[in-house]
Amino acid sequence: MTRLILAAGVAALAISAPASAGPHGGGHGNGGVHAADQKQGGGQKQQQARQARGGGQARQAQARPSRGGGERARQAQARPARGGGQQARQAQVREARGGRAHQVRQAQARPDHARARQVRQAQAREQRGREAQIREQRGRQMQAQRGRGNESANVRTAERVRGNQRNDVRREMVRRNEALGRNNGPVIAARENQRVALRAREGGRVNFAENFDNGIRGCPPGLAKKPVACMPPGQARQFVGQRLNVLRDEVAFRDLPSRLQYVYRDTPDYYYRYGDGYMYRINRTDDVILSLLPLFGLGYTVGQPFPAAYPYYGVPAAYQPFYPSSPYYDYRYADGYLYQIDPYSGLIEDVDPLLGYGYGYGQVMPLAYSAYNVPYQYRPYYYDTSDYYYRYAPGAIYQVDPTTSLITAVAALLSPNSLAIGRPLPIGYGAYNVPYAYRTTYYDTPYNWYRYSNGGIYRVDPATQLVTALVVSALT
Amino acid sequence: MLKTLPLCVCAAALALGACGKSASSNTAPQQSSEAKQAAGDKTIAASLDQKGKFFAAAKAVGLDATLAGPGPYTVLVPSDDALGKAEGDALKAPTDPKNRAQITRILTYHILPGVILSDDISKAIENGKGKAVLATMGGETLTATKDGGNIVLTGGNGSKATVTQADIKASNGVVHDIDAVLMPPATAANNGQPPQGK
Repeated sequence: MTRLILAAGVAALAISAPASAGPHGGGHGNGGVHAADQKQGGGQKQQQARQARGGGQARQAQARPSRGGGERARQAQARPARGGGQQARQAQVREARGGRAHQVRQAQARPDHARARQVRQAQAREQRGREAQIREQRGRQMQAQRGRGNESANVRTAERVRGNQRNDVRREMVRRNEALGRNNGPVIAARENQRVALRAREGGRVNFAENFDNGIRGCPPGLAKKPVACMPPGQARQFVGQRLNVLRDEVAFRDLPSRLQYVYRDTPDYYYRYGDGYMYRINRTDDVILSLLPLFGLGYTVGQPFPAAYPYYGVPAAYQPFYPSSPYYDYRYADGYLYQIDPYSGLIEDVDPLLGYGYGYGQVMPLAYSAYNVPYQYRPYYYDTSDYYYRYAPGAIYQVDPTTSLITAVAALLSPNSLAIGRPLPIGYGAYNVPYAYRTTYYDTPYNWYRYSNGGIYRVDPATQLVTALVVSALT
Repeated sequence: MLKTLPLCVCAAALALGACGKSASSNTAPQQSSEAKQAAGDKTIAASLDQKGKFFAAAKAVGLDATLAGPGPYTVLVPSDDALGKAEGDALKAPTDPKNRAQITRILTYHILPGVILSDDISKAIENGKGKAVLATMGGETLTATKDGGNIVLTGGNGSKATVTQADIKASNGVVHDIDAVLMPPATAANNGQPPQGK
């Protein structure tokens, strides 16, 4: 009898052990599993915090465990049955992940985090107060200038109707092309992929406005929701030659993020301040604004007429397949940004940034990049914290200063000619380029090639030159 | 008691065995730790000359953080002499904001996706009957050929560079030293420029 009971015990232990080890085991750079694991233990309080923050919740969930023992204690209370075993496993997972991601995070961490945050919060409160005053004042001015609201509303309605008609025409054209068997598949699909990636941001626009509460505010009510610097360039230009203290009621001036002080370097003769999408160079002796530099393309935004000085298409060759002009959309390139323009009204409908064409380090991240949109394989490395946000835009993942919305670093480069399953291998991938750690597993043979692109290793059929599979998500 | 002890030991062994199996089944494909060790602990950013012109230019456009990140990248680093002699004023005043776009384009033309060792380039040249086209992170391409035993890279505007020191391994990629600056193709560079007198 005793033997029977003991044998049953043995069987029960053998079955339960793998089951309990399963979801929490592993520990190999699998961000999704880890994040999910952390989320389970979060409790209601954590979920509320996550909801309030908007984009990048998954990464914040990962960042949370490092914030101190209190939270761990709460997790332990929430899950008394699991006891310390899970904590030990989590610690193992963290250690196993360690390496580079940990170094990157450490480099970003601030030593006296709590004190610095208090100071920042106090400054932000003060700044918000000032900005609210400016907003109110501008709002009053704008209301006084308006007075023709109904008229413009009618125009907007007419434009909307015209937009719907255009959409109908577009759909009809697609139907006809399909009926005729025309295959514009690759170009259209590539363009749509790019657009989807870019416009995943649309859904989170409100959250972004909350997240960047201290960002590009101080705008007139109508322009505050627009995805760029809010002050019209004509108005900004009038500030040149005026004293800084006179303009404090007009512009919410800010100090630069420390990383950007290397680029906008103060001298004994002048210094720099940032405000409302422009960088101001100010004379040190009399505080007069010497010049200003728009940090968002031309300073023009969605809903404004595109300047007539740019009548030509001008889109860089690498991006032309993604932005072809048509009877429905016009595209213009200017100062690092691509503007989508309504050919009928001449109004700007959308703005996209292009790295390496003027846009990038030290510029304003468009407000429309609201939601956390970093590709999955890069998420363990680049997640939002109170010090930095990370956003993907064509060609790169950007590190953004949350208080000013200025780009403080290009965190990672992503190849514009990425590999995709079922597509031909792009030009330029003839050479084997798999990272060191995977070379013994994935090497070229007469039947299979392997190529690395944007965090993944892909298998390629040498005969057809088609990408046949994504074999592993790999970052060093 | 003596009867139960061996059974307990068996149970523990079974449980541990099950744990081990479960953990390994969740792992990614085996990585070669020897290969990683051979690459060292230094990132590309750390292995560059911190006082050199290439690093100064990278820092001026925010790409120093990129080269310290996970990568992996293959970076072609022109010598300081070559950077001093490069066409245009952009590389001579890297911190001037008006040069930032041009420097970003030049530097991303020197960064390639993944780890491409000199042997890999040589094999690609062989397979390509004397030349290999390499994609850059800026979205353009450059061409590799062989001149004697040396690898010669050709960029836009007829710019050419020879690899002087190959395969300087870093934890997040590899660096090849070159003796000249490769310029991005002129057509693409000028295509997006706004009209004069805006």
